[in-house]
Amino acid sequence: MLIREIIAYIFMSIGAIFAIITVIGLIRFPDVYTRIHAAAVVLTISAAFLTFGVAIYVWEFFLSLKIVLIGVFFLIANPMATHSIARASYRTKVAKLKVRTVDEYSDYLGSEDK
Amino acid sequence: MTKDKIVLSVLLVLFALILFSLSAFPLQEIFPGSTAEHIIKSAVEETASLNLVTAILYDYRAFDSLGESTVIFSAVSAIVLILSFKQLPVSSKGLSFIVKRTFALLTPFIFLFGLYIITHGHLSPGGGFQGGVILGSISIIFCIIYGSAFDYEKYSPQTKTLLETGGALLFVFMGLLGLFTGGYFLRNVNPLFGELGSIISAGSIPFINIGIGFKVGAGLAIIFYSMIQKTYREE
Repeated sequence: MLIREIIAYIFMSIGAIFAIITVIGLIRFPDVYTRIHAAAVVLTISAAFLTFGVAIYVWEFFLSLKIVLIGVFFLIANPMATHSIARASYRTKVAKLKVRTVDEYSDYLGSEDK
Repeated sequence: MTKDKIVLSVLLVLFALILFSLSAFPLQEIFPGSTAEHIIKSAVEETASLNLVTAILYDYRAFDSLGESTVIFSAVSAIVLILSFKQLPVSSKGLSFIVKRTFALLTPFIFLFGLYIITHGHLSPGGGFQGGVILGSISIIFCIIYGSAFDYEKYSPQTKTLLETGGALLFVFMGLLGLFTGGYFLRNVNPLFGELGSIISAGSIPFINIGIGFKVGAGLAIIFYSMIQKTYREE
C-alpha cells in the first residue's frame, strides 16, 4: 500500500468521524439552533476532509481538481444554507426558544416579542 | 376486510403477475440482428459520439427529441396563456446579505457547470435537457434570493422568450442543414469532422445539445415566473 493511499484513508476516516459526530449532535441537541450549529460546523469540515481524501486517493490532476472544487463548494454553500434556515426559522417564529438569557438578534430586529 | 385491503391485495397480485411474465423473457440477451446490437456495435463509428444515449437521442431518434421539445414549447405556451393575465408584482426584498453575497460568489460556477454539461453531452453523461435544467434553476434561485425584481430587470420575459425560440430554431436549422447537405431531415452533418472524443466532433449533435439546453432552461424559467404571479404576495 502506498503512503499516498494511507494518507488518503486517514483523511477519509477523519471525515467519517466528523460525520458521525454530526449525526450524534443532530439527535442529542435540544432545539433547532444548536442542531443547525452541529450541521453547519461539523458537517462542513467533514465534507471538506472527505473530498480532500478522495482527491488524494484519485491522484489525477483534473479529476482531483474537480473533487477539490466540490469540497470548496461545500465549504461555501453549507454555512450559507444553514444560516438561511436558522434566520428563516427565527423570523417566521417557527422555532421559538423557551429558555434563553441573551437574544441579541431580537434587539437587532427591534421586535418587542421576546 | 376493508376496501383498502382489497385494493391493495389486487394490486399486489397484479404486480406479482407482471413480474412473473417478465421472467419469461430473456432480458439479458441481445438478439442478433436487432436494433440494440446494431447501435452498440456501430453507433460510435456512425455518429462519432461516445455517449450512446446522446447518439440515440440526437441522431437515430432526433425527430423524437424534436417532438419532445415541441411538447415543452406547447406546455410553456399554454401555461403562459392561462396564468399570465395578471401583472408581475416585483419585489426587491430577498434573503439576508450573507446569502446574497455568497450566492453571487457561487453563481458563475453553477453557470459554468450547466454549460459544461450541455457542451459535453456527446462525451459524458448529461446533455441538453439536464444542463438546461441547471441553467433554469439559476434563474429560479435568483427569484428566491434577490427577489423577483432582480431577475425581472436582468433577464426580462422577452429575453427568455427569445432564448427559447432561438434554441428551438437552432434545432430545426440543424435539421434543415442535414436536408440541404444531401440527405434527410435531421441527418447528422459530417460526423467524421474533428477527432473522436474531442469537443468539436459528432457533427451536429453538440449544436442540437446547445439549442435544447437554452430552450429547456428558458422554458423552465418562463414556467416558474408565470406560476409565481398567482401566488406571490408583495410585502
